[in-house]
Amino acid sequence: MKYRIRHITEYQYADRVSHCYNLAHMIPRTSLRQTCDRSQVKVAPHPAFTSRREDYFGNQAFHFEIQRPHEKLIITSESDVEVGSQRSGINLDFGITCSEALELLESSKDDEVLLAREFILDSPMVRATKALRAYAEPSFTDDRPLLSAVANLTKRIFEEFEYCPESTTVATPLDEVMANRKGVCQDFAHLQVGCLRAMGFPAKYVSGYIETLPPPGQEKLVGSDASHAWISVYSPREGWFEFDPTNNQICGEQHIITAWGRDYFDVTPLRGVIFGGGENPILSVSVDVARLA
Amino acid sequence: MSKVQPSPILPPELIYNPTSAGLDEAYGIAQSQQQEGQSQKQKGEPRPQWRYLLDSLKALGPAAMMDRHEKAQRILRDDGATYNIYDDEHSPSRTWGLDLVPGLINSEEWAVIESGLLERAELFNALLKDIYGPRELIRHGVIPPEALFLHAGFLRACHGIETPGEHELILHAVDMVRTQSGEMCVLTDRTQAPSGMGYALENRTVMSRVLPSLFRDSHVHRLAPFFQRLRQKLSSLSVNHDQPRVVLLTPGAHNETYFEHAYLANYLGFPLVQSGDLVVRNGFVWMRSLDGLSRVDVILRRVDDWFCDPVELRNDSQLGVANLLEVVRAGRVVIANPLGSGVLENPILLKYMPAISKALLGREPRIQSVATYWCGDPEDYKYVSAHMDKLVIKPLYRGTGEVSKRLVDLDEAERVKLLTRLKERPAHYVAQPTLLPAHLPSFEGNKLVPRPAITRSFAVASDSSYTLMPGGLTRVGTTEGAFVISSQAGSQSKDTWVIASEPEHSRASDVTSDVSNIPSDTQLISLPSRVVENLFWMGRYAERAEASLRILRTVFMMLNGEELISDLSRKHLLEAVTGITGTAPGFKDCSQEILKNPEQQLLQIAKDPHLAGSIHFSLNAMLRSADESKELLSSDTLRVINDIRDALENLDSALTGDLGSAPEEALDPLVTALMALAGLARESMVRGIGWRFMELGRRIERAMQTVCIMEHLLLPVVPEHDQNALMESLLLSVEALISYRRRYRARMQVAQALELVMLDPSNPRSLMFQFEQLKRHIDALPRAKTSIELSAEERTVLSGETTIRLSLINKLSEVSDGERPELSALLKKIHDTLSQLSIDISDKYFDHRIGPQQLVRSNWQ
Repeated sequence: MKYRIRHITEYQYADRVSHCYNLAHMIPRTSLRQTCDRSQVKVAPHPAFTSRREDYFGNQAFHFEIQRPHEKLIITSESDVEVGSQRSGINLDFGITCSEALELLESSKDDEVLLAREFILDSPMVRATKALRAYAEPSFTDDRPLLSAVANLTKRIFEEFEYCPESTTVATPLDEVMANRKGVCQDFAHLQVGCLRAMGFPAKYVSGYIETLPPPGQEKLVGSDASHAWISVYSPREGWFEFDPTNNQICGEQHIITAWGRDYFDVTPLRGVIFGGGENPILSVSVDVARLA
Repeated sequence: MSKVQPSPILPPELIYNPTSAGLDEAYGIAQSQQQEGQSQKQKGEPRPQWRYLLDSLKALGPAAMMDRHEKAQRILRDDGATYNIYDDEHSPSRTWGLDLVPGLINSEEWAVIESGLLERAELFNALLKDIYGPRELIRHGVIPPEALFLHAGFLRACHGIETPGEHELILHAVDMVRTQSGEMCVLTDRTQAPSGMGYALENRTVMSRVLPSLFRDSHVHRLAPFFQRLRQKLSSLSVNHDQPRVVLLTPGAHNETYFEHAYLANYLGFPLVQSGDLVVRNGFVWMRSLDGLSRVDVILRRVDDWFCDPVELRNDSQLGVANLLEVVRAGRVVIANPLGSGVLENPILLKYMPAISKALLGREPRIQSVATYWCGDPEDYKYVSAHMDKLVIKPLYRGTGEVSKRLVDLDEAERVKLLTRLKERPAHYVAQPTLLPAHLPSFEGNKLVPRPAITRSFAVASDSSYTLMPGGLTRVGTTEGAFVISSQAGSQSKDTWVIASEPEHSRASDVTSDVSNIPSDTQLISLPSRVVENLFWMGRYAERAEASLRILRTVFMMLNGEELISDLSRKHLLEAVTGITGTAPGFKDCSQEILKNPEQQLLQIAKDPHLAGSIHFSLNAMLRSADESKELLSSDTLRVINDIRDALENLDSALTGDLGSAPEEALDPLVTALMALAGLARESMVRGIGWRFMELGRRIERAMQTVCIMEHLLLPVVPEHDQNALMESLLLSVEALISYRRRYRARMQVAQALELVMLDPSNPRSLMFQFEQLKRHIDALPRAKTSIELSAEERTVLSGETTIRLSLINKLSEVSDGERPELSALLKKIHDTLSQLSIDISDKYFDHRIGPQQLVRSNWQ
């Protein structure tokens, strides 16, 4: 499937910003099932300096520096992406079992496995706790295929946690999400990443977009698509597999990847430092995912 | 450290009795297993390289040694050599402690150590390249992935960064001890921002001064060539080869080793900057200086990497330069050590050192590391659990505030706490055996005693290999069996002498002239704005403190004088104190009771450090400004600053007790020290830009104080008797009483006083004099001359000067309706002009950035 994605981020500051430095993760990366054919980032006011590079995780990082005073910052990222589904036919009923996977993760000398072990470790925003392990454990019986166990965990998070847009902020700790049983896609992704790591499996946090289809008979509204987050889990000898706990899905063509990392910290869409600006800027984000013929 | 208390009874001789518990450097006695339990003193002959030193110390005797020791401490104090203790903002920084008995190593022994350490530096360099490059060591299973990925010092943002030249790792330092087997053993590697080389250099400088003949006759390898290599290497990293601009980045004056930052910056001839002095613009790094922004090519970094860029590294860092990392990636600035190098301090690496060495160099390492057990390894964890009491438990990462602990040192509660943490997150800890380092003779009290020693050595990348500092910084424990040896724990330091069998020949490469010690003109012009601003405020605070001291002294003298002064005069005098010190309300509208017994309030104005405007407060502010601009102050100036610091510490006790007799005398040492400071600024400070700003601050403040004291003591229309008292006080506190009497003899006249304190350009305390000086300095400041129109500060100073020149004394002294309206208006006008001038200068030359804040992260659906 081919998409044209337009992602507009707008900051309205309470006070003048004299200059700022930012790092954006807003350009879709390339992966096994996805290629980015064209991308362009426009920043207003006009930046004094921009640069673009591939980061440690292979994501596209875009830096810009604005040296003129401004009260409003608008970043428009537009890309054409071709997305495929994950390798054909994931069969949840066959494949490496949980205990085999753990065994291989510990003993394999394969460098893919060795490097994947980075994603079992705690990261800035996700710490594998006993509570997460206790929550995850029922899904992971020794002889069950790992992917089947992950699918089960995905389903449980979908069913047992309430999707609640106003319930959390970026800084909501996992403990709180666990206690309240509600959150947004980012929380669920963190939650599942934490559960998988607590069980000893490598897991990544994936940020991106999801194409939302309009109700039958209605035209799709521009801007109704949203930035989204899900997870990717590593199964030795089989590779990485993406699951979406917010929608209880195995990710497919409708999941367009922007970036992945250990957690949100590594792939924050826009971070940086501003000078001035006052308090409480007003942020508005609109995302439009359109199919290209 | 602690000052040695002179003991009345000195031992007759200075003789060293080596330790009976283990290896001694000077005697080489090792504790033999079969003799354990015997408390024998098997004292033989000292080893050859120690004989001369021990004989010399013996010949010198304890009294002379004590004398040299005190001399050394004096020099260190005068040089401002301090070491700040963390977590204690209020404790005065300590003078660096130097034990005059050096550690000795002969050339042959040193050659072995050197080859081991040079190889180790190469190894760590290769390791760093691999960690931020292909990570082959992990791919090939040489080190387990967790050993790298778990460590907080592994900065993923630094992946792929390359430093020009053959080496990534520019500086490598190790802490090593001699073990009981006589071999050197590395305890830790320092790669983040190794400290200590400046202290080593200062130790050497002091040693060669206080023990000149011993030093000369010992044929000690020199340290200077090492620093030349360092300077050359840093300059060579610059993309701008003609005029490489290298700066030393410090976290600031509160840092524990700030002395060293300023000292090294001076010695190497690099500007000392803080992160606020640097800014990224258009893809380059710039230093904000008086003449605008100037490009920076190389940064010698003393700020931990994690703090260096708030955009990509630690978001809340106040010590960083936004977007620095992106400039590094583009190769437009080079940082030494490179960002990310802190990962090499990961102690797990010590466990895998032999394997890493075999993988990277194809052989076993020449120098051994302390045995290290990683609790994340199941086998090691088992060993650690079984041998807990013999081990030191060490966290992987120093940045967390957690420190190494010996289980035997802990009480039950602490022990349980540590063991619980260890069990929960074993991979975050390593364990190492507690080593008993060989002992060195140390001069303590008035005796030579054996102390365990640890030495930090330094290597710098140069051309195709590394250069090792011959010697290093040795520190000794505070007791014979001390476990913790660190400057934070109060250990004394020692110079380390590598002794040549014959006098060292100057090699050709060593004699390249060392001109960069003298700051060139261009460097003086491009001082960071922050430094200049601090000099300006140092001048203002010094002058403010001096004026406050003078008025206070005058008031004490008048209150206790021969002639009783009236209540009215008393009121005006005390209000003048409030006005000059800016401690309102103070004596303004205070009760009769306080006016009658003002002593307690006056003392508070002198010594209360928390009262804004008190003398103590102003001097603290001045000392802080002085710390920030330390590298521009001469060693004489630093000595006077130290005197002021000492006098301040003693102020409290000097001003307690019986105030009946001349409390003003307690203030004299401070007045004298401040006069000395002013004199030194005049006589021994280079007439650069920095000096001009200090003078500007001084002149503006003095003029303001003169206006203020005139408002309080000359403006009021009072009966003649009181007027005499007030005018006498005025003249006394501006030090013009004697000239007045000589010139006018007769009774006090307002007109004549006005002439002297306002108009007379030959009186260095008159307003006229201040304005003439201000004008001269402002004319000499750098500015972009684009038109012949006067700049703001030129206009302001000219208007002030003209106002004074055009004033008519007779009109000013006129009284109408019980006031002197003309004088009142004039003083107000001059005061406003001076405030405006301070604002003009500050607007134009100082930095007024608002601090950065993190961009709020985006919300999610």
